[in-house]
Formats: sequence, C-alpha cells, structure tokens
Amino acid sequence: MNRKIRIAIPNKGRLKEPSVKMLQNIGIEILEEERTYVCKTSDPRFEVIFARAFDVPVYIHYGAVDLGVTGYDLILEREAEVYDLLDLGFGKCQLVVAVPENSAIDSVNDIPSVARVATEFTNISRKYFENIGKQVEILGVRGTAELAPAIGLAQIIVDISSSGETLRKNNLKVIATILDSTCRLACNKIAYRTFEKEIAELLAKIKQDG
Amino acid sequence: MFKFQDFDGKILALRAEMTAPVARIISTKLSSMPTPIRLFYVCKVFRYGQSYVEREREFWQAGVELVGNNSSEADGEILALLVSSLRKLGLKEVRLDIGHASLMKDLLKATALDEEKRDTLRSLLANRDQARLEKFMEQNNFNSKLRETLLQLTLCRRLDEVSSLSLDSPKYGKAGEHLRKLLKIKDVLADYGIENLVFFDFSLTRKIEYYTGMVFEVSVPNFGLPLGGGGRYDHLMEKFGKLKLPAIGFALEIEKCLQALTAQCFQFPEKTQTKILVASKSRKTAIEAVDIIRDAGVAALLNVTKNAKNKTIEYAKLAGMDYAVFVESSLEKPVTVYESRSNVSKRAMLKTFLQQIGGKTE
Repeated sequence: MNRKIRIAIPNKGRLKEPSVKMLQNIGIEILEEERTYVCKTSDPRFEVIFARAFDVPVYIHYGAVDLGVTGYDLILEREAEVYDLLDLGFGKCQLVVAVPENSAIDSVNDIPSVARVATEFTNISRKYFENIGKQVEILGVRGTAELAPAIGLAQIIVDISSSGETLRKNNLKVIATILDSTCRLACNKIAYRTFEKEIAELLAKIKQDG
Repeated sequence: MFKFQDFDGKILALRAEMTAPVARIISTKLSSMPTPIRLFYVCKVFRYGQSYVEREREFWQAGVELVGNNSSEADGEILALLVSSLRKLGLKEVRLDIGHASLMKDLLKATALDEEKRDTLRSLLANRDQARLEKFMEQNNFNSKLRETLLQLTLCRRLDEVSSLSLDSPKYGKAGEHLRKLLKIKDVLADYGIENLVFFDFSLTRKIEYYTGMVFEVSVPNFGLPLGGGGRYDHLMEKFGKLKLPAIGFALEIEKCLQALTAQCFQFPEKTQTKILVASKSRKTAIEAVDIIRDAGVAALLNVTKNAKNKTIEYAKLAGMDYAVFVESSLEKPVTVYESRSNVSKRAMLKTFLQQIGGKTE
C-alpha cells in the first residue's frame, strides 16, 4: 500500500503528553505540530493527527485513521469496533458513579427510581443502570458533569476519576465503580490487514520500550 | 431487527438479511429444482443498531447463494465470484480473509475454561491483543502445546503457513478436521488464480449464527470497513422444511462498495442517456415527434406549458435536458434544435438529428 499510516493521538488533556512521548520513545518524532492538521513525522511511513480523545475511536472505526491512542472507556462509550491492540499502561482511571457527600445514597441500591444521572458517558451509563435494574434518566453533558449535583441538574453523576481530586473538590463521593480503564493503542480492522507488518514492528518497539 | 405487530397480533419483522429468506424460498418453492441451485438477489435489508456509529437503517445488498453442494469447488466458485464482482465494479486491491465458524469454538472448548474465561479469551483473540493473550494463557496454566497452537493460529496469514499446523489431537475436538476442510480450498483458489488475494484470519467468525464452515470477509485498503462477506451454512435449509441441503453464499453492501470506490478515486461514468424536450404550437405534431424520438431509444418529454421559446429553453437547461426541439406544424419541415450545453441552435430534419446523436432510426 502506497500511503502513510495515520496515527491519531489526543490533542489535549492528560493523555496527550504521554502519547507524544510514547511515539518519541519508539523513534517517531512529530514535526511541525503547530501549523498543520496532518503532521509529518521523522519516520516517513507514519503521519500523526491530533484529535479529541473522545472522537479517536470513531475515527478508527471508519478508517479515517489507521491507528489511534485512546482510552478503553472511550472505545466502549463510542461502541467502536476496533482492534484493541495494546494496553499502553498510562492514563489509568476509573469510571465511577458519584453523589454529593451529604447524600443519603450510599450505594447503587439506594438510588431512587426517579433519579437523574449527568454524564458524558451516556452509552456506558445507560447499559450499566439497565444491567443493575435501575430506571434512571440519563442526561448527556459535555464535560464538567461534576457540577451537575451542585446546581440541581442531577443527583448522580457518572464520570472518570484518576486521583479522586476533582470529586473531592466538588464534595462528591464514589458509590460504585463501573470499570477500570487505561490508554490503548487501537487499530482499524482493515488497516490491520493492510499494514500488518508495520504495525507488528511498531508494537514490538513499544513493548520493548515499556 | 425492526419488529412490529400485525393486526391479528402476530409479530412481523423487516428482513435484516437475505440468506434466510432465500433458504425459505428454496425449501418451500424450489424443492424439485435440480441441485446445485444458484440464485442471486439485489434487495434492500433493514437493520436496527443502537450503536453510535453506523446509524443507517436501510441498506442495499447484492448477494448470491450456491445451494446443494459442499465441495471445495463450490466454495472456490463463490470466492472467485466475489473477487470478480468487485473488480468488475472497478475496485482495486481486493482482499479476502477467510476463517472457520467452528474452529475457534472447538479450540475454546479444549481449554477447559469456564464460560466467563472463555469469553475473555475470545475477546483477547478477537482484539489481537497478544500481550494480554500471552499473560492470560500463562495465568490459566495452558500447556505449551495449546499456547503455541493458539499463538500460531493468530499469527498465520498465508494458507500455506496454516497447513503446517496440526490440530489433530483428540483434545481439540473437530478442530483438525475443520482446518483440513478449510485448507482444501487452496488448490481451487490457485486454479482460479486468486490464491494471492486470500488470507487466513483465525479470529474471523462473523456474528451470524447459522454459519457452519468457512466464513469470509472482503475488503480493500483505504476503506476502513468490510464491503461484504459470507460463509457456508449447511444446516439452515432444514429449519424451513424437510429439505437438507448444504449451502454457501455471500452478500455485498452496496453503499459501502460505493464509498470504497470514492475512496479509491474511481471516476464514476456520467449518465449517457440523452434527454430531449419537445415543444410545438401543433400538439399533434409534437406528440408524433415525441413518439419518434422515444422509438429511437432517446428519452423525450413533451412541453405542456404555453411558455415562450426563451422560457422553454431556460426550463430545458435547468431540468437537465440536453436539447430543446421546436417542431413546426408538420414533420416534413425541419425542426429547430437548441443544444443546452453549447447554447447553439440549428435547423435539421428530426430523423437526421436523431441519427447525429446516435439514435436508432430505421
């Protein structure tokens, strides 16, 4: 195949820096990041685009990029059918159910049937509450779900937590953990067929390094 | 699937794929046909997915079924037909990946794991996560032979490499038999000259439950989704009646094929049908002219407005007509032909003009 292999990495947030570093460690230096949308790299076989981590699984699913660095939680949330090739180890976090510290709710069993849940993770949340037999209203919000209880938007939130800092700051307590997540190297299924050799080489280098 | 209730309470569903309907038709209506039976279809199917991605609900599918034969020749014919169909469409670098519907199932049984762990193993194999796969096998005390076999199966791509594997331990159930059957196709593919396009993919099982043998998926580089696929289903027919017939078939997703052609920068041919708007003060002569034009195999519309000539010309242009033809009171007289593309008008006898634009006139 006569084209470059396209890798998507998160354009901001806590996943960006370790992703760039991971590529550096295996000899892929990103060139001219500032000015361009698709960045050349020091290895002519690869090019890099910066994208929202939340969108990376969808880019991969459709083959807009061949490989991507994104969270396991996001792959599940976007219901993307991709190869989850490698656990990169960084970006450890948990997807948790949280309520205000002074709430009478201490576990998911205490959740009343009219509760509202604010979250960015509407798909995972819907499935989770269906699974435990709790009928709740899921409100999709973009970021800052942790503010929802304070302003009376929802009594419950589902959000990621890595250190617990944000939850504590907003006087929230965790009542359940839905899943543990880490950053993954994911791959489009057709691209894997096309570039199997190059991808195997990449994986070997990352493993050797980490 | 889209399901709803009939007025008498019966559940109706929109077809989600065509293989089951074809199987039903064969067992109920074509049971006396000599086998093998070869059928094709081009149909719409309807699927409901809750998923975020791929939100379409209505799809065009084109597919074939070869019923009543389970030889490698039948398998090879279907794969070769799939490749040549896509090539004929104009797609380049077509690739087929083949697997076996029961191979993984039988090997998973051989692991003696409980259902939950089997699911974990299945997902590790399906995700090609080799690091976690190796760790998982170590943690669950897989013997070295089984470990080696699973790793090799996930890594093998060429059918030649696969044939060096042996799965003939009684512990592996029918896995050895499945693999031998699958590999028989190698020589058939070579005779069709497509052996280089066909790869082995252990993790490929396809989600449809009725598959019993070889399953396959077709793709092209530069387009991130499979274009179609299929497989062998030797026990579906008997669910609809007494008829027991093995079968194999494939279905292509037409919308995906079109997207793939676009991704490969395919130049879609322009529509070549010439269209003519006919106008005349004499209705009878206009109708006569329209009939002559249509008989010549060219599309014609009759101007039903009483618009002035320049308005008619403008309409012809906007409506995508190639020509506006103005007819006098009789076709013995020449007509005025106005060409939309060039803005040029000329006078000619209708039949001469039709010959010039390639119409069939006697």
